[in-house]
Amino acid sequence: MRPSTIKYFIKEGFSGLKKNLLMTVASIVAVAACISIMSFSYCAVTNLQYMLDQMEDSIGISVFLEGEMTSEEIETMKSQIGKIEHVTNVTYVSPADSLENLKNEWGADEDIFIGFDDSNNPLSHSFQIELDQIESQDAVIQELNKIEGIENVEYGQSLSEVLMRVSNLFQAGGILIMAILGVISVMIIVNTIRISVLNRRVEINIMKYVGATDWFIRWPFIIEGIIIGLIGAIIPVIIGMPLYVKAVTLFYDYVPFVANFVRFRLTGDVYLFLLPASLLFGILLGVIGSVTSIRKHLKV
Amino acid sequence: MIRLENVTKTYPNGSKGVENLNLHIKKGDFVFIVGSSGSGKSTLIKLLLKELDPTSGEIIINNVKTSTLTQAQVPYLRRNLGVVFQDFRLLPNKTVYENVAFAMRVIEAPGRVIRRNVPAVLSLVGLAQKAKSLPNQLSGGEQQRTALARAIVNNPPILICDEPTGNLDPDTAWGIMQLLDDINKRGTTIVMATHARDIVDVMQKRVVTLRKGHIIRDIEKGGYDDEA
Repeated sequence: MRPSTIKYFIKEGFSGLKKNLLMTVASIVAVAACISIMSFSYCAVTNLQYMLDQMEDSIGISVFLEGEMTSEEIETMKSQIGKIEHVTNVTYVSPADSLENLKNEWGADEDIFIGFDDSNNPLSHSFQIELDQIESQDAVIQELNKIEGIENVEYGQSLSEVLMRVSNLFQAGGILIMAILGVISVMIIVNTIRISVLNRRVEINIMKYVGATDWFIRWPFIIEGIIIGLIGAIIPVIIGMPLYVKAVTLFYDYVPFVANFVRFRLTGDVYLFLLPASLLFGILLGVIGSVTSIRKHLKV
Repeated sequence: MIRLENVTKTYPNGSKGVENLNLHIKKGDFVFIVGSSGSGKSTLIKLLLKELDPTSGEIIINNVKTSTLTQAQVPYLRRNLGVVFQDFRLLPNKTVYENVAFAMRVIEAPGRVIRRNVPAVLSLVGLAQKAKSLPNQLSGGEQQRTALARAIVNNPPILICDEPTGNLDPDTAWGIMQLLDDINKRGTTIVMATHARDIVDVMQKRVVTLRKGHIIRDIEKGGYDDEA
C-alpha cells in the first residue's frame, strides 16, 4: 500500500468523523465508559491480588504453645511443623521476643507494657509459620490442630477470604458490566459508521465504477472505527492515571495504619498493563463496530 | 472487445430485462444502443458493468468471461470501463480537479502520474480553466465534461455512456458528442445508450436497437430508425 493511500485513508477517516460529529462523540463516550469500567475493575482486582500476595508473604500462621516448654520440646515441635506440606518456613518466637515486638508495634503507646519483664511475661512461646500459598492455609491448620501442646492457632483467614471474595466480585462484576457496555459501544459505533456510509454513498458508487477494490472502499470506515476506539481508550487513561494516584494517596492519608500491612500497586506498574490493554481493547471495539457496519450497510 | 453470447437476464419478479442477446462490439467501435424506455438498454449497460450478472449466457470483455470473475476481481474489470451517466454523479464538495483525480487515487495511481494526467485530461475536455471550480459553479455541459474527464483519465479501452446528453440542452449535447467522437478517434471503444434521435441520426455510427429485451436492429452505420 502506498504511503499516499494510507494518508488518504486516514484523512477520509477523520473527515467522516468530523461530518458526523454528534455520533462520533457518542461513540467515543461509549467506548470511554466501557474502558473506564475495565480500568476500574482491573485496578481493584490487581490491587486486591497484590494485597493477598503480600499477606501470603507477611502474615502466615501464628501458633501459640501451652505453658512452659523446654528448648528440646520446642525444637521437636518446630521440626514436626516444618514437615507439614506447604509450610516453607517456621520461626520460633520466645515470649521475650513477642513482648519486644508488641512494644515496637505500639510505638508511642508502649507505656501500657511498663511493669512487664521476663519474670512476669504473660505471653506464650510461639511459632511464625510461612506457607507457599495462602490457599493451603486450611489444610495446614488441620494438621497443626493434630499436634499436641498447641494452645491456639491464629491466621489471617477471615481477612484473606474477604479480600479474595471482593476480588472475585470485582472481577465478575467488571467483566459483566464491561460486556454490556462493550455491546452498547459496538452498537453505537455501528450506527455512526452506518451514517458515514450513507453520507458517502455517491462517493462509494463512483469508487465502484472506476474500479476501486472493496478493501480500498472499506479502509476509511475501519480507520474511523479505530480512531473512535483509540480516542475512547486514551480518555480513561488520561483521567484515570492521576485519579489512581490521588485515590491511593487519600487512602494512605485517611487510613494510615493500612500502610503497615499492605501497599497498593505503583501507578507505573498498573498502567504498564492498563495502557496497552486499553488501547487494544478500544481498537478492538472500533474495528468490531466498523466491520459489522460495513458488512451490513456497505455492499461493495 | 465486447461479446455477448445468448445473454438473458431474468429479474426476481420474473420479468426479462434482456433475452437471448448476441452482440459483438469490436475495438474502436462507436455503438449507439437505442430503444424506448423498458427496452433493456439499462439492463444491458448494467450487465456490461457487471452490476448485474446474466441469468444465462456469457459476457466476454477484453477476452475475459465476466461470469468467471470473483467479487475481488470485478474492480479490475471495471478499470477497463469508463462510465458516464446522465446525472453526472460528481462529488459536490470536491473541485473539478479533485473529482477527476479521485478516479485515479482510488485505483492507487502514483501522485506524480495523477499530477501529470489530470491537467492533460482537463485540457482535452476544455476545462483547464475550471480546475478549481466546484461542480455547483459549472454549467450542465461543464459538469458532464468533468464526468467525462473522470471516466477517461485512467485510459480505459472502453467507455460506456448511459444517456450522457439526457440532461443537456441541444447545443451543449453536441459539444459532448464532439468530445466523445474525438475520444473514439483516439482508439477508445464507445457504447452509448441514448434516446436522442437527432444525435444518432447525425453521427451516423453503428446503431443497435432494442425492444422488449431483444435486438431488433443492428446497423453498421445509420440513423435512429434506419432499416438494417
